[in-house]
Amino acid sequence: MKKVDARGKLCPIPLIMTKKALLELADNENLEVILDNETTKSNVEHFLRDHKMELRTTQQGKEFIIHVNKTGSIQENVSVEEFCAIDSPRLNNYVITVKRNVMGNGSDELGQMLLKAAINTIPDIDKKPEKMIFFNSGIELTLNNSPVLESLKKIENMGIEILVCGTCLDYFNKKSELAVGRVSNMYDILDAMTKTDKVVFL
Amino acid sequence: MNYKIIVFQTTHHVLKSEKILEKAGFKFDIIPTPKKFSSDCGMSIRVDVQVTNIEDITKILEENNLTFKVYEI
Repeated sequence: MKKVDARGKLCPIPLIMTKKALLELADNENLEVILDNETTKSNVEHFLRDHKMELRTTQQGKEFIIHVNKTGSIQENVSVEEFCAIDSPRLNNYVITVKRNVMGNGSDELGQMLLKAAINTIPDIDKKPEKMIFFNSGIELTLNNSPVLESLKKIENMGIEILVCGTCLDYFNKKSELAVGRVSNMYDILDAMTKTDKVVFL
Repeated sequence: MNYKIIVFQTTHHVLKSEKILEKAGFKFDIIPTPKKFSSDCGMSIRVDVQVTNIEDITKILEENNLTFKVYEI
């Protein structure tokens, strides 16, 4: 088994060391990566998962050991820099907006399914938004008959603020059916969309 | 959390299953097919086995001639 000792090294060096070690390994061989920084640990894990490597992380005091099995493949020319997340607050500086009850144009039946799948996946993505905003027919997802209500509650419990357009609830006469999030107005919504780095429209 | 994932061969079967299961009153989620289960279809159905009996679901899907595979995550 190969070992990589990346203690005291800052990103992207642990990633480069890990990549180099993986390139030298045969399929299904094992590797241990030793790290002493939580952020670096997450970055290396993210890099490994993206390359379909099996991994298990153990902690001893302030040190982390990532046990890797080379189940995936890796190319010499793969860039590791993009996996260097900076030490940052828990949530990322972006907002997701849901402006319709479907995702994309074309088939509404398909669009409804895509939107459900997208929202059900948000609790599992690495870079979570700081806020989610629902307006126009998008508000349907926040009502008590929403097929994604549980995921939205989970998202809210993670500290992600859910803003729901009050004018829209009023227009569709659905105010009493709101089941998740906070009723907000255009001031809140524009404030949220303009004070963040990036707005993602679903 | 203990989930079963129902993976289909086509999106049309997912949509059809969704309608049938909804009508029958089952609780489930539509999720993107987890990367580790290779499939031609990007969407799957997730069932929380603590809430829903998976056999009830597979039975009704089989009765409707839908082709699928069940995985555990």
